[in-house]
Amino acid sequence: MVDLTVGPGERVAVVGASGAGKSTLLGLANGSVLPTAGSVRVLGADPAALRGRALRQLRARVGTVHQHLELVGQLRVVHNVNAGRLGAWSGLRAAWSLVRPQGLPDVEAALDRVGLADRVYERTERLSGGQRQRVAIARLLVQQPDLVLADEPASALDPVLADQALRLLGELALERGGALLACLHDPAMALRHCDRVVGLAAGRVVLDEPVAALSAADLAAFYGAPA
Amino acid sequence: MTAVLDRPVSRPPVRLHRDRRRWAWGLGAAAVLVWSLAGAGLFSGAVVNPGGGVQFDRFASAALSPAADGEFLALLATSALVTVAYAALGTALALLLGGVGAVLVSRTTWGRRRLGWLLARGALAVPRGLHEAVWGLLLVNVLGLDPWVGVLAIGVPYGAVTAKVFADLVDEVPRGGYEALLASGSGRATAALYGLLPPASGGLLSYAFYRLECAVRSAVVLGLIGAGGLGYQLSLSFASLRWDEVWTCVYALALLCLTADVAGRAVRRRLATAPSAARRDPVLTAAVLGALALTAWSWWFLALSPGTLVSARTGSQLGYVLGAAWPPATDGALLGSIAGLAVDTVQMSVIAIAVATLGAGLLAGVAARPRGPMRPGRRLAGSLVRVVLLLLRAVPPPVWALVLLFVLLPGVLPGALALGVYTLGVLGRLAAEATEELDPRPRAALTALGARPAGAWLYGVASRATGPVLAYALYRWEVAIRDTILVGLLGAGGLGALLASEMAAFDWAAVTTVLAAIVVLTWLVDLVSDRARRALR
Repeated sequence: MVDLTVGPGERVAVVGASGAGKSTLLGLANGSVLPTAGSVRVLGADPAALRGRALRQLRARVGTVHQHLELVGQLRVVHNVNAGRLGAWSGLRAAWSLVRPQGLPDVEAALDRVGLADRVYERTERLSGGQRQRVAIARLLVQQPDLVLADEPASALDPVLADQALRLLGELALERGGALLACLHDPAMALRHCDRVVGLAAGRVVLDEPVAALSAADLAAFYGAPA
Repeated sequence: MTAVLDRPVSRPPVRLHRDRRRWAWGLGAAAVLVWSLAGAGLFSGAVVNPGGGVQFDRFASAALSPAADGEFLALLATSALVTVAYAALGTALALLLGGVGAVLVSRTTWGRRRLGWLLARGALAVPRGLHEAVWGLLLVNVLGLDPWVGVLAIGVPYGAVTAKVFADLVDEVPRGGYEALLASGSGRATAALYGLLPPASGGLLSYAFYRLECAVRSAVVLGLIGAGGLGYQLSLSFASLRWDEVWTCVYALALLCLTADVAGRAVRRRLATAPSAARRDPVLTAAVLGALALTAWSWWFLALSPGTLVSARTGSQLGYVLGAAWPPATDGALLGSIAGLAVDTVQMSVIAIAVATLGAGLLAGVAARPRGPMRPGRRLAGSLVRVVLLLLRAVPPPVWALVLLFVLLPGVLPGALALGVYTLGVLGRLAAEATEELDPRPRAALTALGARPAGAWLYGVASRATGPVLAYALYRWEVAIRDTILVGLLGAGGLGALLASEMAAFDWAAVTTVLAAIVVLTWLVDLVSDRARRALR
């Protein structure tokens, strides 16, 4: 039972042991998991009540960096980034883009922001884990969502790149007046890049505090590790 | 750090580098396809038979009123038993030959003697390169109308394929156990028996059942060239224009092939998922015992007598044919027509594969069973497409050719389309299975960001399934070139038609030349297909 409201302009870190329900929470927010009880409102709409075009339009406003990224390895980076616009594109345009990549300047700018400007035409499966994570973030940059969901978006990145990645996601969410909801396993990261921390345990909210009221030691205790 | 992120794009633009090897293959394939379509007369002249519509209507309307009188049904039941008996005995012979052959062509046997291994492999190309129907026609001339013709016609080419596959299966087993046995002083045969055969046995058994499944289809085809059974009844009814009987035959043989397809797949799936517990799987045991009993019954039912194979008459006939067949004919006119017909044959197979690949690509998405819930309409469409694919592959290509000859003028096109629809039945299933095996999550991720179903399928599924499906298509091309000879034998043109006419004229020297051309052609297609598949990887 989760009772949680995230307002516009908020950057929320979701923390908790594995199996606590973090990924399910994100799934509820992007409509890929339907609630068995209770209700969910995302950007003012209930994903479970929508169908067809209306559901797609809602989903196009929610961008997700999945835990396992779920990129298509056989496609070039440019297509994986462009996939962020599939919600806005017609089927024909999507097909033609595989032959002649559409909206190339945006893709190049997005890849440049994540430091992969020279990998536009690389096959995605040939990239390292950290590079793929940044491709997934570039996909969100071209998608321009109002709500940004991220499941361990920096797990394969070194500390410097991880900071960049989270700052980017935060900026992306805030520049359109939206919100960021990120599952993080690193307490320091949560304190640095978010405004509010929500702790989950066995599917329940057990902690909900603004960052200002928390210290690294509080969070470390929450993760169950010695401070 | 902000400076790093907000740095303007100042490096030289990155260009798209296409994979040259793949592009060369792709462009080459497109060129060959256009050349084949031109060769089939699609861009020049008429291909549709204007008067065929009426006949076709009469034929098609008989589909709903097949012959159902008791006498004919009893005849068909006996014929079906003959077909099954040929299939069972042919497979048994193929497994015997394949088992012995596998020892002769496996890498394990030859070790580092690469030349010997290559020669042994090469020797298999001859029996493998000739279609069962070609073997059937050759054997009829030696053995006369004896049940051995059907059994040997299936057993010999299948034996060669089985030998190759069995050898590969054994060679692919991890060598640890085998080498440990060798190191502890056991002989190579014993070591292979204890260290290589047990781990390979699941694969070997699975392939044996797959061969039995294929043999049913081959036995039907052999009937079409006169070896008896369902195919023979079909050709008789067709020749006497009894469309209602033709349809009963088609339904019967589709049912038979369907049963073989479903039963064979069930057994193989069970083998693939069988737990390695000590307890035997009762279904698998029953399947093996049933197959053995079927073989014994078939021997009795066909009244095979080994004496026929060694009788004086067989010996003298074999001597006569071999004597007349050597040296092969090399006159310019024959070689010229062989070259021209070889081109027809290749064009036929190329069109067939193009039709099948295109169709499989279009249908794969609908035919695949997605995980998770489906809407009723989607479920219905999926079942419908799967049943159609099943029917396409249950009817042998020559029967499709006979049907298409109603509406198309004789030539390359009817044969090519007949092979195409049959191959579509096979390739459509393989393509659907290839998409089912993909990880569903990348597609789900695209749906979650609002992609339309078509877009999510294109980016999340099609882009990943293209490689495997093209590889299957190239492999089926190797099969199709052999089947092209078959539809040719029954009048669809190409090298098969030439072979049939030379045999009818008892010009054995010319037959040898045509057979050599067929073997070389199939070998070349295998080579090109293998290279193209490597470029895909």
